[in-house]
Amino acid sequence: MYRYIWLVPLLPLAGAAINGLLGRKLRFSERLIGGIAVGSIALAFLITLASVYSYAFGSGAIWPNVYVTSQDGASYSWIPGGAVRFTQGGSARSMVAVQESAREEWAKRLAEMTPEERLRGGTISVLRGHNEEERASVLDVEWSYQLDALSSIFMLVVTGVGLCIFVFATGYMHGDPGFYRFFAYMGLFMFSMLVLVMGSNFLMMFVGWEGVGLCSYLLIGYYFDRPEAANASRKAFITNRVGDFGFALAIFGVIATFGTTQYTDVFGQAANFPLEPLGNWGILSWIALGLFVGACGKSAQLPLHVWLPDAMAGPTPVSALIHAATMVTAGLYMLTRTNVIFQHSQTMMTVVAVVGAATALFAATIGITQNDIKKVLAYSTVSQLGFMFMACGVGAFAIGIFHVMTHAFFKALMFLGAGSVIHGMHHEQDMRRMGGLRKYMPYTYLTFLAGWLAICGIIPFSGFWSKDEILWSAASTRYVPVGWIVWIVGTIAATCTAFYMTRLMAMTFWGKERFLDNQHDHAPGHEVHGADHETPTHHVHIPHESPPSMWVPLAVLAVLATIGGFVGISPAFTGGHHVGGRMNIVNFLDPIIWNPTTRFFGTHEVVDSFGRRPELVERHATTSVLTTEPVHAEPPPPYGHEGFNLAHTVESVVHKHWLTEVVFIIISLLVAGLGMALGWLFYVKKPGLPDIWAARLRPLYQASYNKYWVDEFFGWAVTRRTMDAARAVFAFDSKVIDGAVNGSAGLTRLASRVTGFTDRYFVDGLVNAIAAFVMRLMSPLFRAAQTGFTQNYALVMVLGLVLAVILFFGADITTAFKAMFATWF
Amino acid sequence: MVLSGWEAVFFWVFSIAAIFAGLLTVMARNTIHSALFLISSLVSVAALFILLHAEFIAGVQILVYVGGVMVLFLFVIMLVNVGEEERGQEEIFNRSRQVTTSVIFCGLLVAGLIYALNVGYEGIQKRDAATIAQTGAERRAADQNLAASATGASKITKGTEWVGNGLYRFGSLPFEVASVLLLVAIIGSVMLARTLKQEAAVDDVAPDVLEKEAIKDPELAEVPATE
Amino acid sequence: MLLLIFKIFTPVLGLLFQEQSQGRMALVWEKAQHPDLSKFLIIGALLFIIGVAGVLTRRNIIVIFMSIELILNAANLNFIAMSRYLQETGNMNAVAGQIFAVFVIVVAAAEAAIGLGIVIALYRNKETIWVDEIDILKW
Repeated sequence: MYRYIWLVPLLPLAGAAINGLLGRKLRFSERLIGGIAVGSIALAFLITLASVYSYAFGSGAIWPNVYVTSQDGASYSWIPGGAVRFTQGGSARSMVAVQESAREEWAKRLAEMTPEERLRGGTISVLRGHNEEERASVLDVEWSYQLDALSSIFMLVVTGVGLCIFVFATGYMHGDPGFYRFFAYMGLFMFSMLVLVMGSNFLMMFVGWEGVGLCSYLLIGYYFDRPEAANASRKAFITNRVGDFGFALAIFGVIATFGTTQYTDVFGQAANFPLEPLGNWGILSWIALGLFVGACGKSAQLPLHVWLPDAMAGPTPVSALIHAATMVTAGLYMLTRTNVIFQHSQTMMTVVAVVGAATALFAATIGITQNDIKKVLAYSTVSQLGFMFMACGVGAFAIGIFHVMTHAFFKALMFLGAGSVIHGMHHEQDMRRMGGLRKYMPYTYLTFLAGWLAICGIIPFSGFWSKDEILWSAASTRYVPVGWIVWIVGTIAATCTAFYMTRLMAMTFWGKERFLDNQHDHAPGHEVHGADHETPTHHVHIPHESPPSMWVPLAVLAVLATIGGFVGISPAFTGGHHVGGRMNIVNFLDPIIWNPTTRFFGTHEVVDSFGRRPELVERHATTSVLTTEPVHAEPPPPYGHEGFNLAHTVESVVHKHWLTEVVFIIISLLVAGLGMALGWLFYVKKPGLPDIWAARLRPLYQASYNKYWVDEFFGWAVTRRTMDAARAVFAFDSKVIDGAVNGSAGLTRLASRVTGFTDRYFVDGLVNAIAAFVMRLMSPLFRAAQTGFTQNYALVMVLGLVLAVILFFGADITTAFKAMFATWF
Repeated sequence: MVLSGWEAVFFWVFSIAAIFAGLLTVMARNTIHSALFLISSLVSVAALFILLHAEFIAGVQILVYVGGVMVLFLFVIMLVNVGEEERGQEEIFNRSRQVTTSVIFCGLLVAGLIYALNVGYEGIQKRDAATIAQTGAERRAADQNLAASATGASKITKGTEWVGNGLYRFGSLPFEVASVLLLVAIIGSVMLARTLKQEAAVDDVAPDVLEKEAIKDPELAEVPATE
Repeated sequence: MLLLIFKIFTPVLGLLFQEQSQGRMALVWEKAQHPDLSKFLIIGALLFIIGVAGVLTRRNIIVIFMSIELILNAANLNFIAMSRYLQETGNMNAVAGQIFAVFVIVVAAAEAAIGLGIVIALYRNKETIWVDEIDILKW
């Protein structure tokens, strides 16, 4: 079944094509347009489900091996090698030599491995060995899809959460004149995103990357008649260009270093490169830096986060799908996909961890003071993305992806819930005009409650498992020396998260119904009014529950947000190891994650965070990722040096490994509870407190309220400087260059005046005299020739032709004629 | 390339037809008749192309000329006024001085060209006789290997394939330029053939001209400046 | 005039019917049975001249355009015939003749489109299709 994954991106594309090309004709029926869009996504989701099942769990499962569609022989050469051969010139030859040696070395190592090790560490690299000979010579990029643990999780999230959001959008966008346009863009987005996560090489990822960027631009600017939406879309596009520039440089680096863009080949080669500890900038560090800049742009990390909050100008389902659940996690996908490269560079791991932690805290503090419900959620998204980067930075890539998944569930849920609230409040987004909605929108409230508990990190809800694991990984990391700082920052950010989410709940669903008293100073809605909301009684805005097409997806996502975390249940609860075999997301993702200690792929369980080998082993024959070998010595930390390790220190106090983790779990639960309690105190118990504290911490409050003036700073540092530079260039142009040109023109004029004088009086005089004479003589002749009659002119042409013939054959022809007439007369 | 048997018969039939049809094209009084004679001349030439083993060009000739260009001619004839000519009230030829000179020149040209071709061809024939004899045998041998057509009466030749190969391998740039030329021709003819009213509708007429014309045709003044 | 025609055609008639020219007539008959390159070229030349004569003598601008098509066709016939001949001699570039013919046809089509557009514009402005009435070249 997994051989049919090529259908998955094609279906949304087909849906988008139908809606986009024929949408204007189909406008009479929203049902039809929505049906095409939802149907294509639903079909893609079903195929994804079946493919992933047969890939990883069915009887013919090939997990942990990688499946690339070109394996079946049906490969489509997208950029064929021959075409590049001309441009590559001589350098291709030297590159071949380098690869030749690398491949020989790898072959030698393969020969030394035991069969089991070969399966475990070598699968990815030897998979395509049969045709490596041709491939290695020149850059040859194929269009093929790759199915492995990482892409299957992303495919499931993208199509599954996407399906919920599509269903929701059919309700939310009801009555919008651009209904078909919306679904065409959304379908195109799904296609691009699936190409991004399913592509088997960097260039395909780049195509998807730019595709989702384009769709994001189109959808943010969906209400293009509103200037703030148009500006936000441009801002998103331009900010992403910065990141994409880094990504493009990284791809060039990959091509120059490895001579190929195919993941399996690149990572197989990269695994043999030497590690680059902190402060060493080898080629892989530079590549990783470029990739990270790209990831920063797409995943809204500091300092390129500025576009994401503004992107909320798009319709709410867009915010849920693109700017919370899927597109912004593309950076995470890229980081995890290229974890071999990142893990070679301790410097870049540290940078990722620090940037992630900084973003998490930074965005969380801004989220506290925002009043627009979607802005709060946007900053929350930035903050959660920071958490994910934090996880990747401390080496827990699988946990980062786990958080991507749970975050997709609960953040999509909250965005859709917010959309439902906005819809029910007749396009009101300001939380200060909400309150007490619990009574009016029970389904929305209940589902939102699940999302709230999940993001705060309360125990059985999904957010708890992933966020707790991230903090635990940060505390116990052996990858970067700053793990404990990251942990502290992350814990504070988690507290803030619980606080502002409680604030959002309180201001929206609990307390006084403020929309009742503020009817008259009601500002025009932030979203344009749908056609069916143009009520004549504009002042009576009693909220109403949304239609089933909106709350049913909410309910589905609420269930997922509640129980979705159990696929990655914390080892502290299950005896210190990840149970459930490959049903556990950490084990499932194992084969794609490289281990710098053992230098193998997929050996997460062989060495735990402390360098000890766990007792647990899974004795299933095909899951050879886990080893049955007995535990011997503690391996050293991957990069040779390990800084202060918080978890290690705690363990030396409590003396039990599982207890250490329990301590950290309790801490994270406590801070979540603290945040929630503070929120409850501030916004339910004593509603006067926020103002008091805002006055007391005025500078801090102002900084947070104004988003730390980052936009203003960019405006000053980038926009203004660009304008200054442009002005300077213009001044140079107008003063220096134009001056030179004008000066030379003046000189020329002077010279020409002198020449003109001579010309007029001496030369012209002579010429005129002669001309007058000739004219008198010749003009009657020439005037007669100029009949103005076209065919006369053509006749002259033919005369020329005759003359040409006579010139060549005239003498011969006359003799021939003479001879002929002489014969017959 | 010496034809023989039925091919020779067809050659004479079609070449005489082409020349007579061409003559009638030039001499017919009725323009429609001219066009129809031109069509028969073109079709005859297409038949000559087939005798020369240029099947593709023959097809293009019929499709493009007869199917496209000549239809265009017929439409234009319908658009312009040719009534006087048909009724025999107008002289179809130019003033006699021009006609006489032209006919004399053309006669000279015919005589010269035919003589030159006859003389020149003998020289070429002498030069190439050996080569033709040699390669002709090779070609006949190669033609034996061609696949037979469905009826079995003839062989499927490679001529069209060569043309396609040559066109796309060596002539691709001119090919693209030709497409641009056609595009320009389309746009140009559309722009040329617009009426003043159509031009006024897209605000493409100088205002003073429009004013002047509007006096004659009051409808023009009512055309909205932009659509 | 008639005398002149008679004097020119008599040798031809004699060629066909006179007893003493038996050998020459057989040669001509033999040649006619096996037309070669020169015959095609002569047909092309005749078509060309007919076209030229049409361009020079007719007053109707549409017929002049048709004559131009005839001229282009004569050129095509030459191209194709030469291409065929070069194929016989084994020249590898012989197919270039056919490619040229394609381009000639393209140019002819473009020329016809533009030319007829001009005819219509002209007719609309000057209400005439007689070439000798269109003489604003003489200003």
